[in-house]
Amino acid sequence: MRTVEDAIGAVLSGAISAITQRSIFNRLGGLARTPVAQLGATERQTILKELESSLRLFARSSSGELLAACVRALGETGAAASSPASSGAVSGGAGAPASAAAAPASKAVRKTFAVDQEKDIATARLEAWSEAVRIGLSKFTAVKVATAVSELARNIVFYAGKGTVELVASEDDRGPTLNIVASDQGPGIEPRKLEEIWSGTYKSQRGMGKGLLAVKKLTSDFHLETGAGKGTRVTCLFRGDR
Amino acid sequence: MDQNLAIIQIRNCLLVSIQAELHDRLALDLQESLMERVRAVDAKGVILDVSAVEIIDSYITRILNDIGKSVRFMGAECYIVGIRPAVAMTLIEMGVELDSVSTALNLDLALERLELLQ
Repeated sequence: MRTVEDAIGAVLSGAISAITQRSIFNRLGGLARTPVAQLGATERQTILKELESSLRLFARSSSGELLAACVRALGETGAAASSPASSGAVSGGAGAPASAAAAPASKAVRKTFAVDQEKDIATARLEAWSEAVRIGLSKFTAVKVATAVSELARNIVFYAGKGTVELVASEDDRGPTLNIVASDQGPGIEPRKLEEIWSGTYKSQRGMGKGLLAVKKLTSDFHLETGAGKGTRVTCLFRGDR
Repeated sequence: MDQNLAIIQIRNCLLVSIQAELHDRLALDLQESLMERVRAVDAKGVILDVSAVEIIDSYITRILNDIGKSVRFMGAECYIVGIRPAVAMTLIEMGVELDSVSTALNLDLALERLELLQ
């Protein structure tokens, strides 16, 4: 059975010394010895979060590329079938995820993340970034995607308390697309405040007051549904050219 | 979980390499301890190295600007160094300004501009 340590080790060898790799795996504890095929969504997220901070420290200039490679090596959440690392898992049979066959059936891949505290912002951002890289958006676009998700997730935590960020990866005749849907049941945005936001004059206590406007400028397609007592729902689209 | 950000002194200049996720508490702590250190060592400049930061959104920009403003109020210069190309492009597209700090490509150049390397 291919363990997390095997899969990640293969990615990091050549980029990071064996001693440093050992300390990274030590930080992962028992998770490092878990077979990749048996990883749950939460465990996968914990590993990626830990790897993100380790790689920042140890592989500063190339941490982004390495992390993206690690994401691929660990395969899809609950759908390890798409990962080359798991080819041995079928014969192994133990705990192969039931949803493995479901992934290729539909073209759009949806992932939803609950956002209700500051650390969820980083998780949502990281997932969005790796999803953008996975579907073939450019490195620059992936940074824009992650930044937009960061803004939207932050708005949820700051102003609504809790909500969700959904990533929908799909493809049309022009190439791969990534749709981001951030929604919450918070207080909504009043029309007067909204006017200030779009004119760039809005000032918030905690941030810059420019988050929504920034996201609008970053994407090719932006929709906002909001109203007092109705919560807020932002949809925006990023696409990669072919 | 939170690492404290280490402030390193090079001659009369203070350096912070930002490796951790900046949130309200950590940013405020950093701002406070930087201001105290600026006063204590008569610092001429403060350099924040963000080369390990993959994503800078408007909130982080506000934090950086706030730190820059407070350092400038005290009479020192604040440099942000190591902004990644994709991050710079994104900030420009978002229309977000880093206007309360100076920027330099890297640490060497910031030190040079602060006349520490001559």
